[in-house]
Amino acid sequence: MPEPTAAPALAATRPAPAARPRRPRAETVAAYGLLAPNFGLLAVFVLVPLAGALLVSLQRTNGFGDGEFIGLGNYTRLVQDPVFWQALATTAGFTVVVTALSMALGLGLAVLMNSVLPARGLFRSVLILPMAVSGVATALIGVLVFDQNNGILDKLITAVGLPSVNWQSEPVPAFATIVLVTIWWRTGFNMLIYLAGLQGIGPDLHEAARLDGANAWQRFRHVTLPLLGPSSFFLVVLNVIYSFQVFDIVFVLTGGGPRNATNVLVTYAYDTGFVTRDQGYAAALGMVLLLLAAVFAVVQWRASRTRDLVE
Amino acid sequence: MQFSRRAFLAATGAVAAPLLLPGCGFVGGGGGSGSGDADTLTFTTWGTDAELAGFRAAISAFQDANEGKRIELNAVPYEQMFTNIDAQLQAGNPPDVFRVPYYTFGAYAGQGQLLDLTPHLSEGVQDQFTETAWAAVQNGGSPFGLPHHTDTSAILYNADLLAAAGITDIPTTVEDAWTWDELSAVADQLKAALPAGTYPFAYNWQGNGVTRWLSLLFQADGAFLDTDQATPLIDSDAGRSAVEFSSSFFAEQWVPETDTTTSSTYAADSWFAGTVAMVWSGAFQIPDADTTADFEWGVTFAPRGVRRGGDFGGNALVATADTGKPELAAAFLEFVTAREQMQGFCQSASLLPTRPDLLDGSLAFDVRPELTDVFVGQASQVQPQDAAQVASPSMSGIIPVLQQELDAAFLGQDAATTVANMSQGIADATGA
Repeated sequence: MPEPTAAPALAATRPAPAARPRRPRAETVAAYGLLAPNFGLLAVFVLVPLAGALLVSLQRTNGFGDGEFIGLGNYTRLVQDPVFWQALATTAGFTVVVTALSMALGLGLAVLMNSVLPARGLFRSVLILPMAVSGVATALIGVLVFDQNNGILDKLITAVGLPSVNWQSEPVPAFATIVLVTIWWRTGFNMLIYLAGLQGIGPDLHEAARLDGANAWQRFRHVTLPLLGPSSFFLVVLNVIYSFQVFDIVFVLTGGGPRNATNVLVTYAYDTGFVTRDQGYAAALGMVLLLLAAVFAVVQWRASRTRDLVE
Repeated sequence: MQFSRRAFLAATGAVAAPLLLPGCGFVGGGGGSGSGDADTLTFTTWGTDAELAGFRAAISAFQDANEGKRIELNAVPYEQMFTNIDAQLQAGNPPDVFRVPYYTFGAYAGQGQLLDLTPHLSEGVQDQFTETAWAAVQNGGSPFGLPHHTDTSAILYNADLLAAAGITDIPTTVEDAWTWDELSAVADQLKAALPAGTYPFAYNWQGNGVTRWLSLLFQADGAFLDTDQATPLIDSDAGRSAVEFSSSFFAEQWVPETDTTTSSTYAADSWFAGTVAMVWSGAFQIPDADTTADFEWGVTFAPRGVRRGGDFGGNALVATADTGKPELAAAFLEFVTAREQMQGFCQSASLLPTRPDLLDGSLAFDVRPELTDVFVGQASQVQPQDAAQVASPSMSGIIPVLQQELDAAFLGQDAATTVANMSQGIADATGA
């Protein structure tokens, strides 16, 4: 066991706490001063509304006047609400599929763009371009493509003699449309992060692996992939949280239909809060969403072994 | 004086923060009523270009007629309109006056958010409006707004597609409107003649437009609420008949499969694209159709069932309960709904008036004026008791119930189960 012997040696080299140089007071004040605006904005726009939402979630209210305090009533109702469970399952399914596919595609494209591809600058730009388009505009493009009556895709499919797909009126194709549009939108970002990760891996490691007899797949699997751990960690957390919060694409592209097949937690909360005006229940849905995202981030933080792995 | 980089950054941050906050919408803008200026009213609305031009003209005329008084117009996109209004009401700084659809009116009036206009209106104002329009702005027997305009659905048809299917006998008077059976026969004839992928018609019940399904209920001589605006009446023969008829649109493939109430595709889009021959539509669509449709088109009346009937669409103008200027607000509402102002607004925006003195043939839309009488005739079929139901304070809870159950019916749920579920859902929403 190395720790007992290592510990005294370490302690001996560590300076005594009293001897640690203190930061000048002016520097501390300046640091807090610079942090203060961000903390202020965070408090006003995130923490206070969060506390407010928590309070609202404990009430029955349509937003006007004083709500009626009902304790955990909205949460009890939530557990018994089939639409909530359906929206949760849809959100989880969407998150898993979109995160896995967009990261795999992003990684593949990043490897391609990191190689000696002709005109790769142009290809990189084309792939990153969807990032510059807003979610609503992206969804509107999706409507033009997937419209069941006048869409481009069905016209192309029928032109080559295949049966048309009911992109909007059947649950599975409708779910596929939101997944495909989101992947188109997000893959470029994933590629960008992976590309940055790839460019941080020195060629000497690959050279050493090659000299040791590793083939291309083995080099990718055992050298490249582990060293992309921090990028993957960052992207998994970001993609999962973004996917849990998906709203604009679903709202514009499918409106949550058909038959709630694409209704995700945020569109359900929006409809509940702003259409039905059941704001207490909508706030409870929001709190569940927050809880799920926070739990995921913590679990992922603790479970990821390669998040800090560097060359 | 020495000025370090840190001090500069801190000072810049301190100065910039208050400037940034209003940009984030944190500080009330022109839409708030907190100005305290007794001669200025704030008025929030959404609108098409023609509607906003109409409002600006009315405001200008009001200011000319009332020296020293000012109306601050705050035009916002429809998508933001009611989330903004709700937030402003909750924060205690709503506008003095705003525009509201009849089906949303009740939610505000029923929650005590609107001004009871009874003591502030001039003598005899009620007589200036149609009985139907007046019924749509009542809450607990008192007016909480003035009906600014209405709209109701008639049928826009693609004349080329109808002619190709041999349908040339299209009703030109409201008395001759197709019966449900005749409409079904027309739909069958169209279905047989139209190419695959093109449908006889599409119905405009998407989103909050689900209230337009109520036209079929009213045509079946049904009601969804009793006169107390709370007790459900939809579980009836008329309710089942309306559900069966509308479900047959899907069973018979008269409408595209996407023509559900929760669809993200609007019925009119399919009509403009030529994939449906007819579409239920309000008059507001006329200017767009005039410039966009690349085919010959016309308008005929909505069908009749046991009786004639239609949805009472359109918007009211209301004042908020806490406005400090109730007299000025009431005066502005009366001015904007006066004959001259309403005529100008309705003609330019292709909307229908709520005043009987404009229903005597004196109204003519700026675009396709020959179609005015069809829509005016259709609007005359809307009954006061039908309009009164839509003013229920519980409409925001009833609308999702109608959407959910109708979509289930369109997919095969039987009519009896559908109206029983609707009845239960409406009772839950109204607390009856």
